[in-house]
Amino acid sequence: MKRFLVLTMLAGLCALAFASAAPAAPPADIGWEFPLSGPYGFYAEEMKRGVDMAVDEWNAKGGVLGKPVKVLIRDSELKADVALRRMKEFVDSGIPIIGGNLGGGISMVINQWANKNKVLYMSTCHNSLGQGSDWGYYGFTTGIKSYMTGAALADFAFEKLGKKWMVIAADYRWGHDQVAAFLVKSKAAGGEFVGAIYTPIGTRDFSAYVPQILAKKPDFLVLSVFGSDLVAAIKQFGELGLSQRVKLALPKTAMPIMKECGSAYNENVYGAVTWYWTLYKKYPNAKPFVDAYMKKFNRPPDADTDSGYVGAQTLFMAMEKAGTRTDVAKIIPALENLKWDLNQGPEHFRKCDHVRTQTVVILQGRGAKAKGWDLATVIAEVPPSKTMLPCDVDRADSVYGPIRNKLPGK
Amino acid sequence: MELSWEIILMQVIMGLALGAIYVLLASGLSIIFGLLDVLNFAHGTFYMLGAYATFVAISLCGNFWVGIIAAVVIVSLIGALFEMTLLKRLYGTDQIYPLLMCFGLSIFLPDIIKMIFGLVGKVVDYPSLLQGATFVDNLILPKYRIFLVVLMAVVLLALYLFMKKTSIGMIIRAATRDRLMVNCLGINVSRVWTVGFMLGVGLAALAGAVAAPMVQTIPNMGDEMTIEAFVVVVIGGLGSLGGAALGGLILGQVVSFVSLLAPDWSNVSIFLTMALILVLRPRGLFGEEGRD
Repeated sequence: MKRFLVLTMLAGLCALAFASAAPAAPPADIGWEFPLSGPYGFYAEEMKRGVDMAVDEWNAKGGVLGKPVKVLIRDSELKADVALRRMKEFVDSGIPIIGGNLGGGISMVINQWANKNKVLYMSTCHNSLGQGSDWGYYGFTTGIKSYMTGAALADFAFEKLGKKWMVIAADYRWGHDQVAAFLVKSKAAGGEFVGAIYTPIGTRDFSAYVPQILAKKPDFLVLSVFGSDLVAAIKQFGELGLSQRVKLALPKTAMPIMKECGSAYNENVYGAVTWYWTLYKKYPNAKPFVDAYMKKFNRPPDADTDSGYVGAQTLFMAMEKAGTRTDVAKIIPALENLKWDLNQGPEHFRKCDHVRTQTVVILQGRGAKAKGWDLATVIAEVPPSKTMLPCDVDRADSVYGPIRNKLPGK
Repeated sequence: MELSWEIILMQVIMGLALGAIYVLLASGLSIIFGLLDVLNFAHGTFYMLGAYATFVAISLCGNFWVGIIAAVVIVSLIGALFEMTLLKRLYGTDQIYPLLMCFGLSIFLPDIIKMIFGLVGKVVDYPSLLQGATFVDNLILPKYRIFLVVLMAVVLLALYLFMKKTSIGMIIRAATRDRLMVNCLGINVSRVWTVGFMLGVGLAALAGAVAAPMVQTIPNMGDEMTIEAFVVVVIGGLGSLGGAALGGLILGQVVSFVSLLAPDWSNVSIFLTMALILVLRPRGLFGEEGRD
């Protein structure tokens, strides 16, 4: 009897010890992922640097809720299966929040999974989160909705560059979003659409398209491609005299693109970005960000740096406001009600779709006049009120969706 | 779409220029395979090195032409170093080992280039003499593309004369047929292989050097070029220089016209062309018998 009682007490004590044992702390507050290897490595590195800068800033002032904040960053290799696997690894290790990625398609895959599993996800790239069936309560983005840059540039182009236009578009969702945006704006502006060419990602030779473009004599050509494709296109169009005769409108451009094109990125090239470093002259809050980056890396930050930086900053702000680093049920409402003024004036997440209310910046190339990293001139800033569609329209994807699903020439 | 004769002619010119890059690349690959029996999976890497070496050379001397020549010489020497120190040790072993060695180089070298030059691509401008195009009504005659076609013709002629009319060319051809006999005749076959490898790599570097103004010069720019070079060589027939030349020209025209008529098929078209030719002629256009 005595032995039985002792054993029972021991069993009870063991059970109590297990029950009250603190679970192992997660290895980080946020797990970030970017395609650090592969063709978009530069842009991924910029986003990562933005996140690192935000972490350093917060930790320099004591961290979040009095404790240093920690992030883990992994390489998604620009592959959806790798990206998803690594995000799952983050969450399985106890990390409550995930973020990052580059490549709208991959972002949407992560977003779908995150919403299914109730994991807070902060995307940092151009994507279509918040549109149609791709919206989810657990997804936020400091990138921009793909159609917004196209819509902003289209308004500018039809007003300043002419009415007759054609497009070369990368044959995937982002490219199609731009075509749809331009088609919608063209109809409203009385534009004359004369043709579309859809190219696979990785197209290196655009010279074959020059004769037909010149034959159609558009006022401007929308170049809805990116990365190596865009550099090749601009260089070749410069070489073949196309960009001297036809203006080029790029729904997405970036500093390395401008740099690598050299003098071919001339005054006839107009591109849209979500942020440009010379804007610190207008938005003083951006100056410390630009200065810190310049000091560390000897050149200015790019739009992707801003995206990563704001993504991390808003998460830390929301954690502080919600009084928790892990309770996503409290952090999400804090994010929804958050307002900030970091690099581009006052911004917030639109509550209905969790998309950052971001201004689109239109840049004009400087060609041979470019010096160092002063590669372009800001000629317009288009506020979100002119590019973001109402939430119910976006949720139904009723404006661009029907056009995108039946693109001319597809 | 209405196809005027101007559009067709311009597509032919663009196709020839594109084909010129393929011909230079594939000729080099064909020489290496024909002579050394090595499937050089680093061929695109030497193409990339050619572009970077051109960038460096032009940065130092300011002259495009000197830059190209210097780039080809430098990369050929790098190729010789690789062949003499690493590849040579694997001759006589299973064919997979030199292949793996080249494959390893194709991963190692781009990362070294990333560390040295960073992730932002480098700018190589067109030479001032060849900038722009001549416009005749609706016809564009791009100067640099026409230069590429002329360069290809000159290089092919030079290769032909080298192989047919020089002693070393004769030795290389003999070594391709029967290396044992060449060795027995007292000729250092090992040196012949090094020269052959240098020649093949030099052609790849030249392709990269002349392509640099047209494309993005980044560390991974050669990845797809290796595959495309192999497609051309397979189309032309493994080991056939003439086949590589013809295969490159055919592919250039295919890509040019598919880009005009069905652009979303442009990348796939090269593989479809290869598949079609292999179905009709499994050894390629000239195959083993086409060796010259």
